[in-house]
Amino acid sequence: MTHQDYKEMISAYALSALDAPDDSALSTHLNECAECRRELDEWKETCAPVALDAKPLEPSPQLRERILSQVRDDRSSIAKSNVVPLARKQKNVWSSLGTLGAIAASLLFLALLVNVVLLWREKQAVQSELETLRAEVSKTKKDLDEQTRIIQMFAKPGTRFAELTAMPIAPAATAKLAYDATGHAMIMTSGLPVPPAGKAYQLWFIVGGKPMPGKTFSTDSHGKAMMEDQIPAVAMNSAVFAITLEPKDGVPAPTGNMYLRS
Amino acid sequence: MQPEEAQISDVDLLKAIVRQDETALAELYDRYRVILFSLLVRILHSREEAEDVLQEVFLQVWRRAPDFDENRGRPFTWLVTLARSRGIDRLRSLAARERVALAGAREPGEEVSDAVADAFRSEQRGLVTTALDQLPDEQKRALMLAYFDGLTQSEIAEKLGAPLGTVKTRMRTGLIKLRELLGGQNASFGF
Repeated sequence: MTHQDYKEMISAYALSALDAPDDSALSTHLNECAECRRELDEWKETCAPVALDAKPLEPSPQLRERILSQVRDDRSSIAKSNVVPLARKQKNVWSSLGTLGAIAASLLFLALLVNVVLLWREKQAVQSELETLRAEVSKTKKDLDEQTRIIQMFAKPGTRFAELTAMPIAPAATAKLAYDATGHAMIMTSGLPVPPAGKAYQLWFIVGGKPMPGKTFSTDSHGKAMMEDQIPAVAMNSAVFAITLEPKDGVPAPTGNMYLRS
Repeated sequence: MQPEEAQISDVDLLKAIVRQDETALAELYDRYRVILFSLLVRILHSREEAEDVLQEVFLQVWRRAPDFDENRGRPFTWLVTLARSRGIDRLRSLAARERVALAGAREPGEEVSDAVADAFRSEQRGLVTTALDQLPDEQKRALMLAYFDGLTQSEIAEKLGAPLGTVKTRMRTGLIKLRELLGGQNASFGF
């Protein structure tokens, strides 16, 4: 399009009547052509008075106050934000970008939060698994220690053994007691019922019909237990061994049912 | 038709508005509310829409007063161009259905009192009406459809059933004629 073509379009442009392609092309040309910009100003001067062809109408009296009130709000908000009024459009753009930035930051924060929660949960799961493994290792180590001590006891010269027989109250129960020359004893049980709350099994050394209290012990869920004790010297040669169910802290003389005896 | 001697000029009012003088904006509103509101009602056929747009226009004046350049034109032209542009934008943003409804309603609104009509400078209005009446009907029709209905040249061509080139010629010829007719009076518009 030539400069003359543009010039002939300016009057219609002043009326905003150009179709989009022409409007866009002339807008671009106006940015570069001072002569056409001056001509546009002249055409605007020509067109503006046509507004007076509209029938005179009065807006509502409230509109004036609405406008002034909005202007006061605008001024105070501008003062607060320290933004020059001219920067209104730019302010909107930055405000929109700021909003978008805030949304993006919120989303990022949310993603990080989710990630942190997931990592925390993963850490908790790993910690829990670790605790389980530690407990298993600890139990295995304890079992191994017990086995080692049992083997050592069994291998020790002079070790004697006593087998305890089940009483009718627990026919499946069995127990073996091994003790060395020093009186150090180990008792191993199986098939004993798990003692109720507040109760425990107690070992007794019966000499001349008189029971002497030993230690108390509990069983695992399979009724197994291993407990070490010290046999009183008087009971080393002629004692009868028995196991009864007693209060969990033990008693000086048996009160409960007898489950096993030699 | 000339400014009253004691009256502050529109240009000075705009300069005061640049300095955030609220009373200057109120004074400018008092001077132009009828002209601009009438224009917007003619474009939008709705008092409610027109008041809404007029509010936007004066807020824009408040914010963009520094943009006004007295070397490029009069405040009257700047304000009318601003209001008309906003009004056309609003009109074009309305759905076609709403436009039909609005056009159908043709709500005239309250006419101004005689005193306000005087303030509206009926003499100037008479000059414009006379000038427009001197244009051939087809030229005036094309200009009115563009000015108050916000139609583009191809929309006008379709509405009038005329070739696009013919419409372009009618509009350009009509505006040149209008410029000749109003040329000697143009300085009268505005305070």
